[in-house]
Amino acid sequence: MMTLPLFPLWLVESLSAILVLFLAFQVFQVTRRLMNQDPENALWLFFNWLATLLMIFACSHGVSHFVQEFLTFHGATPFLTHLRRAIGGLDSVLYVGLASIILFFHRVQRLYRRMEEDHHHLEKTSHEILALNREMEALVMERTMSEMALGIAHGIRNPLHIIGGFSHRLLKKTDKSDPTRAWLAAIAEEAKRIEQMVERFETLAQRKSSFFSQEDLNQIIRTTLELITPEIRLKKLNLVTDLTSTPLVGRLNPHLLKVAFAHLLRNAIEATRAKGTITVRTTMDGQFAVLTIKDTGKGMPPDVVERVFVPFFTTKLGGTGLGMVFVRQIVDEHRGIITLESKVGRGTTVTIRLPLRFAEAPGVSEPQPTPAAASNHGI
Amino acid sequence: MVTRIAAAVGAALPLVFTNTPALAQWEGWFQWGTQGSYVHQFAHLLFLGAMLVFIWELYKGDLREWPGFRCIVWACWLLAWWNLDAIWGHALEWSLLNPVIMGQGFSRRLLMEDLHTWLFYLTKITHFVLLVPAFYLLYRGLRAMAAKIEAGRS
Repeated sequence: MMTLPLFPLWLVESLSAILVLFLAFQVFQVTRRLMNQDPENALWLFFNWLATLLMIFACSHGVSHFVQEFLTFHGATPFLTHLRRAIGGLDSVLYVGLASIILFFHRVQRLYRRMEEDHHHLEKTSHEILALNREMEALVMERTMSEMALGIAHGIRNPLHIIGGFSHRLLKKTDKSDPTRAWLAAIAEEAKRIEQMVERFETLAQRKSSFFSQEDLNQIIRTTLELITPEIRLKKLNLVTDLTSTPLVGRLNPHLLKVAFAHLLRNAIEATRAKGTITVRTTMDGQFAVLTIKDTGKGMPPDVVERVFVPFFTTKLGGTGLGMVFVRQIVDEHRGIITLESKVGRGTTVTIRLPLRFAEAPGVSEPQPTPAAASNHGI
Repeated sequence: MVTRIAAAVGAALPLVFTNTPALAQWEGWFQWGTQGSYVHQFAHLLFLGAMLVFIWELYKGDLREWPGFRCIVWACWLLAWWNLDAIWGHALEWSLLNPVIMGQGFSRRLLMEDLHTWLFYLTKITHFVLLVPAFYLLYRGLRAMAAKIEAGRS
């Protein structure tokens, strides 16, 4: 019957054990280098732990097999038999340790991915807020310029007409040889220049219409609800809409109002439990369009209601505390008023009143606002 | 404690080098049936499972774009295979009853009585041979990652 030498087994095992030990040390060194580059990186930390355990494993496994082969070639002694069993036990512990680190890494990776998702979400929200802020700043600047232009136009135009008119009349009455004639001509010419400046300011005032246009509030709400309805359905909430049959037309900025309404609706969705109700209602109250968003959610205590519009105040985990601030700013820019009523356990009602005093039927071209009219309207 | 261990090792060493009879009883690490044997096999199984989870995690994570990713994945596959080989090898070893060993010292030879003995001999070789490329690939993969990071920093 055939026999095979046991020496090659010993040779292979010994050489492999030495190589594995050497490579395990090299792996450990590389992971230490990675750790030194970025000590807070979870991945490098994991590889370092893994390499540490693999190095211990390479030692114990090598010794364990070396002892085993020794026993094979030279026979058993009680001590070596016990030593081999002890190292075998240590090997078992190391395998469990390696598996634990890897499975722990699996959980850490999941958490890390969640953190990254949250980070991206926060970044996206931050960009949105920044864009909204820029838009608001542009709007405020435009409004300021318009008001300034109209104020100057109103304040200067009338005295300027008088100066120009009188200088022309004096010019006609003055003899051609009179030396004061040149002075009067200069006055008339400068008055005309100032008049041109006033016209340029008026042009600035007219550009304001790029931010506000004749829009139907009901239509803006319908468009916003189309976007939000899937979220309402997902949470199994009832949506009640009660919009006026006639359009509520006013000088509005649909983009900003959609942002504000979407934020209010999302707040309502978040606060309301499944099978709760969110009611969106519009009414006309004199020259004001009134929008009410009511939910049957958990409501807020008075101290929270007081601070809802305070910048950076938030009750949400990971919230920016700027949403409601922007909502109020948007309403303010429309010369509107926002109020909030809430009762714990009963729900919250947000009411927005927007003035529609300058409303016109949609489709009617906007007339150029006269300085006097603009001044009276307080634009 | 250290002194006692040293004394025990000192006392055992002469016994280790003592020649033993030509037809020696095979000294298995464990024999099937002991609690330790099952614990060790389950530990291998757990290690194998963890390696498979790690491979899945590597593919799912953002490491795919990294240099050395393939090396690390291959290292994991080899380690998984090594565990499988170890489970099989241990089972064969521990169930090998009274193998016939002829000769003395390093010239000892194993009588290849049946398929069981052949498989045992084969798994003894592959058991360690699989570990070397696994560790080498792990080293290469991590070294490539470290090189990329160091290049990015410089």
